[in-house]
Amino acid sequence: MSTSETIRDLLDPRELPLRHRLGVVALGILALAPLWSRLLYAGGQDLLLLRTLTAALFLGMFAMSWDAVSGYTGQISFGHAVFFGVGGYSSALLNLGYGIPPGFAIVGGTVFAGLAGLVIGVPSLRLEGPYLSLVTLVAPIILLRVFVFRSDVFGGELGLPSPDPLVPTSGFEQATIVFFYVAFFTFLVILGVLLAVTRSDTGSVFTAIREDEDAVSAAGLNPAKFKIFAFLLSATTGGLAGAVFVHTIGKPTPSELLVTTVSIEVIIAAVLGGMGTIVGAAVGGIFLSLFRSYLSDVTATIPIVGIPIGHLDLLLFAVGTLLLLFYLPGGMVRWAVVAGKRRLADRKPAATDGGQTPIRQVAATWRRSIARLRGADDE
Amino acid sequence: MALPLGGVVVNALMISALYALVAIGFTLIFGVGGVLNLAHGASITIGAFAAYYVSSVFGLGIWAGALAALVVPALFSAAMYLGMIQYVEDNPITVMILTLVTFIAVEEVVKIVAGTQAVAIQSLLTGQVAIGNGLEANRLLVFALSWVLIGLLFAVVNYTRTGKAILATSMSSKGAALVGIESDRMYLYTWILAGAFAGIAGLFLASLQTANWSMGRTPLVLSFSIVVLGGIGSIRGSVVGAYIIGFLETLTTSYVDSSLTGLASLVVLVLILLVKPEGLFGREFTE
Repeated sequence: MSTSETIRDLLDPRELPLRHRLGVVALGILALAPLWSRLLYAGGQDLLLLRTLTAALFLGMFAMSWDAVSGYTGQISFGHAVFFGVGGYSSALLNLGYGIPPGFAIVGGTVFAGLAGLVIGVPSLRLEGPYLSLVTLVAPIILLRVFVFRSDVFGGELGLPSPDPLVPTSGFEQATIVFFYVAFFTFLVILGVLLAVTRSDTGSVFTAIREDEDAVSAAGLNPAKFKIFAFLLSATTGGLAGAVFVHTIGKPTPSELLVTTVSIEVIIAAVLGGMGTIVGAAVGGIFLSLFRSYLSDVTATIPIVGIPIGHLDLLLFAVGTLLLLFYLPGGMVRWAVVAGKRRLADRKPAATDGGQTPIRQVAATWRRSIARLRGADDE
Repeated sequence: MALPLGGVVVNALMISALYALVAIGFTLIFGVGGVLNLAHGASITIGAFAAYYVSSVFGLGIWAGALAALVVPALFSAAMYLGMIQYVEDNPITVMILTLVTFIAVEEVVKIVAGTQAVAIQSLLTGQVAIGNGLEANRLLVFALSWVLIGLLFAVVNYTRTGKAILATSMSSKGAALVGIESDRMYLYTWILAGAFAGIAGLFLASLQTANWSMGRTPLVLSFSIVVLGGIGSIRGSVVGAYIIGFLETLTTSYVDSSLTGLASLVVLVLILLVKPEGLFGREFTE
């Protein structure tokens, strides 16, 4: 992309590269989901599909928020659930405890999540690589322990009752369609914000931090400022998604917002989709969520052991993830884009990232910091 | 809650020895291979259930069960290293994700095979020992065995050729390679050792309490705190750390609130990471 492009050029569909056009078409198809799901299925099945899609959109949002900080700046967070949890819980508590209308409660939840982002982001300046991941991994566990300890306020393991819905609806059908559009709109907002930031100069600095922090400092930019901003951005978008989630299809419970599995699912989604691309994270999140719900719906039984496949969904999901991560470390979207370009013999710009996938770059940084921690003299 | 202090201290002494067993394996893998093995908790669960199946289901007695608790997790750990980790060990993030997902998969398998109900494992020894107010012989044996194992590991690492080779690899894999040490084999050894230690800790844990599919989680999370507190890669540090964390855990859950399990140690973990990230005995290997 040259720098002389104006906004209008950027938004003109005729000027868009093929993959962007495909993305716009996909969003359009998604927007019309209530229509085509009715054509495909009848008698309530279409509504279930919509519910599944809504849940998938939320996982997509969560994955995008992870990607903004971990995929771009390489500060790998293993506990992003803490932001979804803070966003969702504070919004629910503001609504349930103080009677604040959902719309404002969501804003409040987002602000609280942003604060949590600062709390996690500041230590990230001191800690590197695996140590930061360890802190982020335990952050939601600590939060959950506090919630269990003060079960009278936070509802403990069972979580809080559902707060008021964001939009008052009557009946399951109307609620499903309205919630789908609420989720879709939030998805678009988060996608837009994150794309705008990561495709800007700030995004380039994020990527540069991932590749070589010292080089960023040497160029006269303060990596600390950008890292904090990345955490703040990621936490607010994640918190917003969490807050909207509890006021639509979700509930403020640990199992939906806070457990380690949520954090891990988000990482897997982003890595599978393609780390450091935002779009990949979104696609990965949607794909993963649909894949899991598809697995849990399979009623067939495995022949010899006689266990229904639906009961194995988490296991199969884990095994599937293991295989995909093992064989496709760059992610699906990146793979598709590269494969598509090769097929179409598109112009090939120089690889600004040295031709390495983000995960490889972060791995290199980690190896250096681990070597330092261990006091090894290898590097 | 007015629990007798003596009982609480004895409890803390014993549970800390188990935590040390778990943490040593975790720290060995990190210190030597430079990867965080989040599937370490799975070895605990596998050890406990291997012992349960051999001793109670197949009826071979608890000592055969103990052997299974050593061997099966060691094999699992070795298989994980050979089948997966050795191909991605230069990428610590992938290792972290893969081992965590493996942990989830193992838990799911245990849930499917053994159900979600907790199972009891027969005691290694029955009867009481007349120390203080009387102590179950089983608990004392578990405590003694844990220390024997820790002592053995110390001796092996410090005084045998293989042990010294493992130490050398942890200091500098290039330097070790120069003197003819195959680092891949050393990594494999640490994985096997770690698996066996976690497995036997799982059996001990199950024989003091019960075994269930999610039993590996708390010790794993505690290991993070222990290992970071003691200094990543240091065996001595993880024994000391295990005792500090073990006492902290037992005291808070006994005297403050039992729902605080894990909270105190996690707070310690975060504080240590922020204030003194190298831990108490960090970089021990290089000095």
